[in-house]
Amino acid sequence: MFDPILQQILEIARDAWAFMAGLLIIVALLGGLYFVLQGTAGAAFGASRTTSMAIIGVVGLVIIVLFAFLFLPQVGDMLRKFQPAAPF
Amino acid sequence: MSEVSSILLAFMREAWLALAGAFLAFVLLACLAQVLRVSSASVLGANLWVWESVSALLSIVLIGLFAFIGIPQIVRALQSSLPNAGGCGPISELGTLASSLIGGLAALRMLRAAFTSVLSASIGGSSTFAKALIECAEAMFGMILMSAAIPLAAWFLGTC
Repeated sequence: MFDPILQQILEIARDAWAFMAGLLIIVALLGGLYFVLQGTAGAAFGASRTTSMAIIGVVGLVIIVLFAFLFLPQVGDMLRKFQPAAPF
Repeated sequence: MSEVSSILLAFMREAWLALAGAFLAFVLLACLAQVLRVSSASVLGANLWVWESVSALLSIVLIGLFAFIGIPQIVRALQSSLPNAGGCGPISELGTLASSLIGGLAALRMLRAAFTSVLSASIGGSSTFAKALIECAEAMFGMILMSAAIPLAAWFLGTC
């Protein structure tokens, strides 16, 4: 009885996942571009701290995106394995 | 009575499976939303926002583990404490029906509370997990109360 409802919810959730993953890529690309701009400006003006902060920012952004695309599906698989049958 | 009980329990089992599947989907979506928030906040340089999102991400995973590991164990433990055959005759059948239905309803209510708290955590809400825990405690209290009420009713009605 509830299976068609669940299928519709899962379809909406898949669409939402694809939308948010695309949005994450766009935000990460824009953020990376911003950090590159910051780094080049810092390098041009001799501001070594600004440049190093920009490099750290790019690395952090890459780590966050990798976390989202590699770690979250693993968390989902783990929770799916834990998904319990009805305890009654 | 047993046929009614099995039909109602089958209905509740299907509801449990659907709710657990939707819960899993929303946990993953909430995690992705928090990661998106972390990335945008780190680009903007909003440190506080980053740490809020990281803590929300951890809390969502914890709620998911609580729902999938903790709630079934709580329900099984409480259901084993319910007397399912208080007295004999119709009261015994009624007791069996009541204990199984109470267990199913309490389990569904706890999972729904966890589902609501995940939805709330995904949009930055803070207080609904406390409400979810209160709902779990209410369900547990109701089950414990019923474990006393069924033998008392059997004794009051004078069966056996």
